[in-house]
Amino acid sequence: MKGSLSPRTPGVLALAGAGLISALATGRPELALIAVPFLVFGGAGLVLAREPQVTAAVEPSRLRLLESEELTATVRVRNDGPEAVEVEVAPIRTGQLAVTPDGTVAVRVGARSEAEIAFLVRPRRWGAHGIGPVAVCTRDALGVMTWEGRLGGRVDLRAFPHEEQLRELVAPLRTEPFLGTHVARARADGIEFADIRPFQVGDRVRQVNWRATARRGSLQVNQRHPEHSSDVVLLVDTFEEARDQARGTLDSAVRTAASLARAHLGRRDRVGVVDFGGTLHWLEPAFGTTQLYRIVDALLASNVAFSYAWRNVDSLPQKVLPPGALILVITPLLDERSIALVSELRMRGCDLTVVEVSPLDHVSPGPTAPDAVAYELWRLQREALRARLQSLGIGVAVWESGGNLGPAVEEVNAFRRSAQPALRA
Amino acid sequence: MTLLAEIVVIVLAGIGVAVCVTLLPAARPLRRRKAVPAGSSRPQQLIALERLVTTSGASAVSAHAYLRPLLIQIVSYRLSARGQTLERMPEAVGREVLGDRLWDIVRPNRPFPEDRHGPGVRPQELGLMLEVIRRL
Repeated sequence: MKGSLSPRTPGVLALAGAGLISALATGRPELALIAVPFLVFGGAGLVLAREPQVTAAVEPSRLRLLESEELTATVRVRNDGPEAVEVEVAPIRTGQLAVTPDGTVAVRVGARSEAEIAFLVRPRRWGAHGIGPVAVCTRDALGVMTWEGRLGGRVDLRAFPHEEQLRELVAPLRTEPFLGTHVARARADGIEFADIRPFQVGDRVRQVNWRATARRGSLQVNQRHPEHSSDVVLLVDTFEEARDQARGTLDSAVRTAASLARAHLGRRDRVGVVDFGGTLHWLEPAFGTTQLYRIVDALLASNVAFSYAWRNVDSLPQKVLPPGALILVITPLLDERSIALVSELRMRGCDLTVVEVSPLDHVSPGPTAPDAVAYELWRLQREALRARLQSLGIGVAVWESGGNLGPAVEEVNAFRRSAQPALRA
Repeated sequence: MTLLAEIVVIVLAGIGVAVCVTLLPAARPLRRRKAVPAGSSRPQQLIALERLVTTSGASAVSAHAYLRPLLIQIVSYRLSARGQTLERMPEAVGREVLGDRLWDIVRPNRPFPEDRHGPGVRPQELGLMLEVIRRL
């Protein structure tokens, strides 16, 4: 801790000095007597002052929480010195953490004892946030010296985004031969009825459809669609975001990606994620709960990084986009590079759906009349862009902040059902 | 008497000074890192359009070269929903559906403006055109 004179000390010394100078100026020694106690006070304080042996540590009640949840961060202040000290503690805030109480908290810590101060901490948005060290200030008994410093280490909190419960998901066009919940177009052992065909050697008796056999006079067996899983790649566009003071499109995009990842992994799909923006990060598709945590951790690191570099499909490693994978592009459709990527992926025959995180909620028209006209033009331009993507056979689900993703997904599924012949082309 | 008065004055002065000392702050407020306020960012698309609306009002070239393709894109999408295309639309129908001013801007084979420094499409005018497009 760094020691310095307290604000009181210069005042005391100034008063002493004033007494001495006025004694000299007026030639009256009595005035010098007034200065003596202050000189003694200041001198004794400086001589007797010892740096307090104070340590502090920050202990949050947990390290992982949802973005709107609160946790208690306990600051333990320990005094190893022989005298009690008055300690002022203030949490060092980051912009993304709301801390209550917000100001300085004073506590008296006895000799060789410990005191605890509890702060309520609430993350304002998802992400990895650091709490600690804390700003600590103590002073000696006379208040002549103060010591300030930052004590305790940094503890990283991980605030997970809110996830939405999705009842329906975008149905993939192609499935992988692993057990899952998507009804495949192929015919094999499964639950969903597909067709009837004549009995062949090797068919099991339990597959025989006795009613059809009785009608047609020869053995007929049921064919079924198997339940398969699929590969899903979540491509999060981090080229640009629209942000108002509180929220931005990236917040919504990450929340959407986390919801989709959980829902697809829950249906035994292999899910991967690509952070496609100024910087490029990816996670190859995999199954299971561990993958969900990996994805969420990867999403927490998402950030908009400004870059002039042009990126396209060739920037991505091949293993990230397995053949036949359903690619869900989560984008505000603000950057030409991401729009070009979407078109390029579709041109290459990828099964693609765009989840458009609407930036309109985060941007308001400018103050002047031309700005209002420009805003309206922008709105119409976005509609036209959406129509252009749909004309390429790309389903576009528009998600407005505060709304549910479910209806948008249903809309996309309806579009994909009507556009299936084109999609398979 | 004089000595007594002096003692009283000195004692009072001492008390006054002691009060002043206690009123002096013993510690300064803790220095803390200021919370970084979350900024807002407007999309570059919108900023570019705001600039385009302004420049199109002042320059016929800007209106023809930059605003016209954008309006054609939007009008084409709106017309396609009605089963019409801009390219095959007869002039009379175009003028009736889009209005004279908008048709003059988006009509196929519109020549490059002769007066390069002439006025383009004023924002108020553009606002009225967008109103027409919205009603399509």
